[in-house]
Amino acid sequence: MIRIGTPRALFFYQYYPLWHTLFTGLGAEVVISPPTNREIMAGGLAGMVAETCLPVKTYAGHVAWLRDAGVDWIFIPAIRSICGTDFNCSKFLGLPDLMQANVKGCPPILDIDVDASKPERTLERALQAAGLRLSKDRRRVDAALAAALSTHHRYQAMMRDGLTPMQAMVQLGFLHADEAPSTFHPPFTPPFQGGAGGGKASPLTIALVGHPYCIYDTYLNHDILKRLARLGVRVLTCEMAPAEGLMQGIQRLSGEWYWTYEGEVVGAAGHYFADPGVDGVIAVAAFGCGPDSTMLAVIQRTARLESRAYMSLIIDEHSGEAGIVTRLEAFVDMLARRKAKTR
Amino acid sequence: MKVTAPHLGTAYVPLKAVFEELGVEYIVPPFSSSRTLSLGTRYSPEFVCSPYKIILGNFIEALEQGADTLLFIEGGGLCRLGYYARLIEPTLRDLGYSFRMITTRLFERRVLGIPGFLRLFAPDASLKQILRAMRFGLAKVSALDDVERAVHQVRARESVQGAADQVWREAVGAIDAADSIDALKQAQTKYVARLHEIPQNEARRPVKVGIIGEFYVVLEPFSNLDVEKELGKLGAEVHRTIMLSNWTWHSLFLSALGLSHHKQVHQAAMPYLHRDVSGDGWESVGETVLHGRADYDGMVHLAPFTCMPELVAQNLLAEVSRDYQIPVLSLTCDEQMGRSGLVTRLEAFVDLLRRRRKSK
Repeated sequence: MIRIGTPRALFFYQYYPLWHTLFTGLGAEVVISPPTNREIMAGGLAGMVAETCLPVKTYAGHVAWLRDAGVDWIFIPAIRSICGTDFNCSKFLGLPDLMQANVKGCPPILDIDVDASKPERTLERALQAAGLRLSKDRRRVDAALAAALSTHHRYQAMMRDGLTPMQAMVQLGFLHADEAPSTFHPPFTPPFQGGAGGGKASPLTIALVGHPYCIYDTYLNHDILKRLARLGVRVLTCEMAPAEGLMQGIQRLSGEWYWTYEGEVVGAAGHYFADPGVDGVIAVAAFGCGPDSTMLAVIQRTARLESRAYMSLIIDEHSGEAGIVTRLEAFVDMLARRKAKTR
Repeated sequence: MKVTAPHLGTAYVPLKAVFEELGVEYIVPPFSSSRTLSLGTRYSPEFVCSPYKIILGNFIEALEQGADTLLFIEGGGLCRLGYYARLIEPTLRDLGYSFRMITTRLFERRVLGIPGFLRLFAPDASLKQILRAMRFGLAKVSALDDVERAVHQVRARESVQGAADQVWREAVGAIDAADSIDALKQAQTKYVARLHEIPQNEARRPVKVGIIGEFYVVLEPFSNLDVEKELGKLGAEVHRTIMLSNWTWHSLFLSALGLSHHKQVHQAAMPYLHRDVSGDGWESVGETVLHGRADYDGMVHLAPFTCMPELVAQNLLAEVSRDYQIPVLSLTCDEQMGRSGLVTRLEAFVDLLRRRRKSK
């Protein structure tokens, strides 16, 4: 049986159920790297130029882990555009080549080209092409792809209903309950409809905006979600916002959709700034991220103009957790005091 | 209407020529200085790439001089460059300036889009006038590049240091002042000849260095601390792959010649990078391969801090360098860059190239 490795980094949080269903449907075994840890991070730092952004270095660490696990192929997509007019970061386009060049002894790469501006390269067509490399039987590929897409849509719907990606993947059976970090179990974030706030003893609600690989990688962000939960804060993330909300957020804050993953940063911030049930917004960004350097500026300006509580946290490979903890506590304290005053 | 545009090397010369031909006043922003950079940095996002900071500084200084129409050419970059305008405009408004900002993606309609675009500034201009202005501007671009190529050659061999740069400065002034195609041709011929008359040290055998990288930091000497001049002083002859003229011609006309060269560059890059990562990343990889195949001694790769396309290239250049036995020095350009650090690294690099050449 062919073993295909998928790194638990970057697109994992958006697409893993889709890929897993497709590849297993075609008779392959899907191997996933474990949550980021010190060894994985070290493996990623070893090969890449120091200035490279944290998420891509982390990705390289996961690829190196999968190499050591002896997989036959590593699945690495090159995503140029997901809606047709957007621009993705160059590093996402160069990802297969970056891994090939910088992870020594990298297994063969199963790569796909996703570019929604070209009819022959939509996500579906690209996945179909990948499927045809596993099986020559076109009908079988199409059936596996259809099943994969329907799983993907269910997965997205579950997140819109308030589940984090990890919770949804556990529920769908893609991760064992003990494989998902403890952070994501109750009492943290029960399924919750945004904007409900208000009640007398209502806890603080904070929207955490940023790329899923920054928000849900507990090693990189020193487990921000758990820390907020311990401080008694309800957390909303971009997956829990409706697509139109994200779109309107972008339109209000920066005009046209530009970056491929602008929705989860600018869109989510715009959406939650407009929600009176949200007490504050925290943006989590990775050091060295090009798109984030511009998007955070847009969010910060809006926060100032609209007098909304906002903080940005930049995570990097050697950020001590003390700095992050102190800032989180101070931010939550400030919000609590503000809320008590206005009540 | 007082039009201005940020500096990009000598690009102000042709831009001024085009607008003045159309009867529009053009304000050349003060040349980039430490004031420009500190103004720009103060009002920029901390981690944005360095061209943004200098460009913002240019705009602020031009507004101080009375400019009221800001021209920003977004070119073909699909990286942060395409996002600059939507950050620059609100930032300047928040600072209290009133102005009109006109941006263009030159690549979208290529040369056909230019007349309509120029009419935004000169609504009454006839097509004939516009074509004449464009022709004049392009002639200035190629005159400048012609002289600059000669500067690159002479700088590494001149007996008295600084002689070529003296002539270059005069040449830029004369090309700027030329008010007709004839005057321009004369200036061009005169200064190329004067450069070749500069006494040269025949015993010197300069090492040949290719310069590649992100187009803004390659073309704007202020942003790279005059790396070409420093290399020249050390006795290195520079070949810059990005010149204003081939960039303009490629973006406007996709000239047959330019296109075939681009194809060649992309084919050369293919074994290392299979996709166009936008910006100049593909070109940086491909040009290193081509220079490695030719008789170049080394490459200097320039990129702004955290430049996305160039970081892809930089991560791949180590392999190209090994395969083609051509040393590559990557330099990060940002507001933290210091001259002595740069010069030390360049000296060590040129020494290394010399020694390698001797041992060949």
